[in-house]
Amino acid sequence: MEGIMEQPFWANGPKPGSFYDFHAGHSSKTTTVMPVKHTQYPMVTGSSVIGIQFDGGVMIAADKLGSYGSLARYRNCSRILKVNNTTIMGAGGDYADFQFLRDIVEQRVIDEECLDDGFNYTPRSLFSWLTRVLYNRRSRFNPLWNTVLVGGLQDGEPFLGYVDKIGTAYQSPTAASGFGAYIALPMLREAYERNDKMSEDEAKTLLESCLRVLYYRDCRAWNKYDIAIVTHDGSRLEESKTLSTDWSTADMVSGYE
Amino acid sequence: MSLQMEQHEYGTPMQRYWSPYAMNGGTGLAVSGADFAIVASDSRLSEGFSIHSRDAPKTYQLTDTTVLSCAGFHGDILALTKYLEARLQMYEHEHNKKMSTSAIAAMLSTILYYKRFFPYYVYNIIGGIDDEGKGCIYSFDPVGSYERETYRAGGSAGSILQPLLDNQIGFKNQQGVVKTPLTLQKAVQLVKDVFISAAERDIYTGDSLVIRIITKDGVKTETFPLRRD
Amino acid sequence: MFLTRSEYDRGVNTFSPEGRLFQVEYAIEAIKLGSTAIGIQTNEGVVLAVEKRVTSPLIEPSSIEKIMEVDTHIGCAMSGLIADSRTMIDRARVEAQNHWFTYNERMSVESITQAVSNLALQFGDDDADPGAMSRPFGVALLFAGIDPKGPQLFHMDPSGTFIQYDAKAIGSGSEGAQQALQDTYHKSMTLKEACKESLVILKQVMEEKLNATNVEMATVTPQRMFKMFSKEEIEGIIKDI
Repeated sequence: MEGIMEQPFWANGPKPGSFYDFHAGHSSKTTTVMPVKHTQYPMVTGSSVIGIQFDGGVMIAADKLGSYGSLARYRNCSRILKVNNTTIMGAGGDYADFQFLRDIVEQRVIDEECLDDGFNYTPRSLFSWLTRVLYNRRSRFNPLWNTVLVGGLQDGEPFLGYVDKIGTAYQSPTAASGFGAYIALPMLREAYERNDKMSEDEAKTLLESCLRVLYYRDCRAWNKYDIAIVTHDGSRLEESKTLSTDWSTADMVSGYE
Repeated sequence: MSLQMEQHEYGTPMQRYWSPYAMNGGTGLAVSGADFAIVASDSRLSEGFSIHSRDAPKTYQLTDTTVLSCAGFHGDILALTKYLEARLQMYEHEHNKKMSTSAIAAMLSTILYYKRFFPYYVYNIIGGIDDEGKGCIYSFDPVGSYERETYRAGGSAGSILQPLLDNQIGFKNQQGVVKTPLTLQKAVQLVKDVFISAAERDIYTGDSLVIRIITKDGVKTETFPLRRD
Repeated sequence: MFLTRSEYDRGVNTFSPEGRLFQVEYAIEAIKLGSTAIGIQTNEGVVLAVEKRVTSPLIEPSSIEKIMEVDTHIGCAMSGLIADSRTMIDRARVEAQNHWFTYNERMSVESITQAVSNLALQFGDDDADPGAMSRPFGVALLFAGIDPKGPQLFHMDPSGTFIQYDAKAIGSGSEGAQQALQDTYHKSMTLKEACKESLVILKQVMEEKLNATNVEMATVTPQRMFKMFSKEEIEGIIKDI
């Protein structure tokens, strides 16, 4: 899981192609075990995740790009996860760390299902657990490099939570991570403050328009996206869609030819 | 390899850096009188130039007679307050009584000091009623140094509010002033006024104010809007 | 098959078919071999008085200590295997100081007793705290102290059971002494009366003649907290008997 020590290719011996190094005068055993490696920077990354509560539900959306630095490396990475019938989550940041978290969450859901005791993870319990996991990892200086949104219905009420790689966590009816905090969040807040009882369709249109603006302005964003929705009818991860865009104004921008 | 991948245009290797801490702002304030204590905080949760939440008050009711205000790194605040709640419950089970405000203060000091070399980045102020029924305030630094006071402001606008409180409650730097004891009404009004002022100058303070009024009868909560920009 | 109870008194944590733990019962029996100790709680404070068995004129009586200070506000009298009590007093003292360090307040008498009881119960445990032994402790304790609830007296036996008392006697003379306490104790007893009464009762149950060197006495009061009586002070009380 973590701290997997690199075993030497040949115990106490030289690397392939190197000469044997007899440590003159040193009786202590030398090993070439590598130090424990921590994620100190992300490799393949996802950009913003955005979420909003609406009348009787919550939705979370994110594009499907896995960037490798500035390279648009993978163009079909899902960063949204349906946890169970009442809970969804989405993550930005290091994609490998997200996969690690996803595997654990999915296994825990299966284990819980096997108990067959009628209990399921609720959005709040998953959020609380995630907050502890991310905080504990940062406290061991080995963070999971993600910002995660957890959404769902808690006792019939919409729930949306945000937690980042160092364990800063809060609940809010609107949330956005990364670049989305600057571009999407003001749009979400404006819409929510105007109407906090918006319909599912209105909310979806709103998230799509946020993703569109992000695609226009965020160099690490993409036009293919996922959206997950929780309502009283259950949760669903919708089929990936592509944003419609209009670049006709691009010709009018001068100075960057 | 990784350094090559993150190569910057100007040829210097770029490595992304992370800190286990963030400053999420927020201001806490506590004022005590003869038979009451007030603990107040704003409800803004920020990071850099972003506002995470406008509805995240930083006051935590610990017992019927004790309220804690926390400002600093929100991740540590969540961990610390959760741990405190557990310790409070354990004390109650072990000793068959509620913890007194002074005992909570002493315990918090040891909790903070035990993390002296990887501190909770949290500025704590405790307000409550002491064993004699008097209002009491304890203020802390992040590594557990603490003292009992009659009023204290802490957090991002703490240094803006404290001199104002020194003047208005401590009657400092005034000549020929009649030192009248602080009444509850005057204290509540003062708390509102100073937070309005703090919200004008400090970008990490605003959105709304939560005032917890602690008397022998329990804790009453009042909220008051602050500017949201 | 079960000829004697000894079939079930080998393991300290093995119940007999009648539901008894013999080793614990034997340990309680061991207390009855110890010298008598008395505790009386009054509204003004608590008194502890203990008999010291000076079995040889060559014994230095002051080296026999059966009342000890746990904290400034709590004292403890004991009867039984005194050596066993050292571990328990150590624990009581550590718990008291730890409580003061963490909470900046004095630990209550009940909590101290509870803490020591936790240690007393751990006999035979594989993963017991340091200080716990393979057998039950062979000593009974009387904790006397002052806390927010006022003067308090607690008795704890080797089974770890602890009960609050107005007045309690332990040790070899405990049966007679407890009866005498029941006859003489009343709620409005003054501390001075309690001090005198404890020596009167000790005198009745002791084999040797009571004097200032073969008894120990201490009080815990809100004013002076834990205070051991000097030889002269004990002599003063004996004179009044």
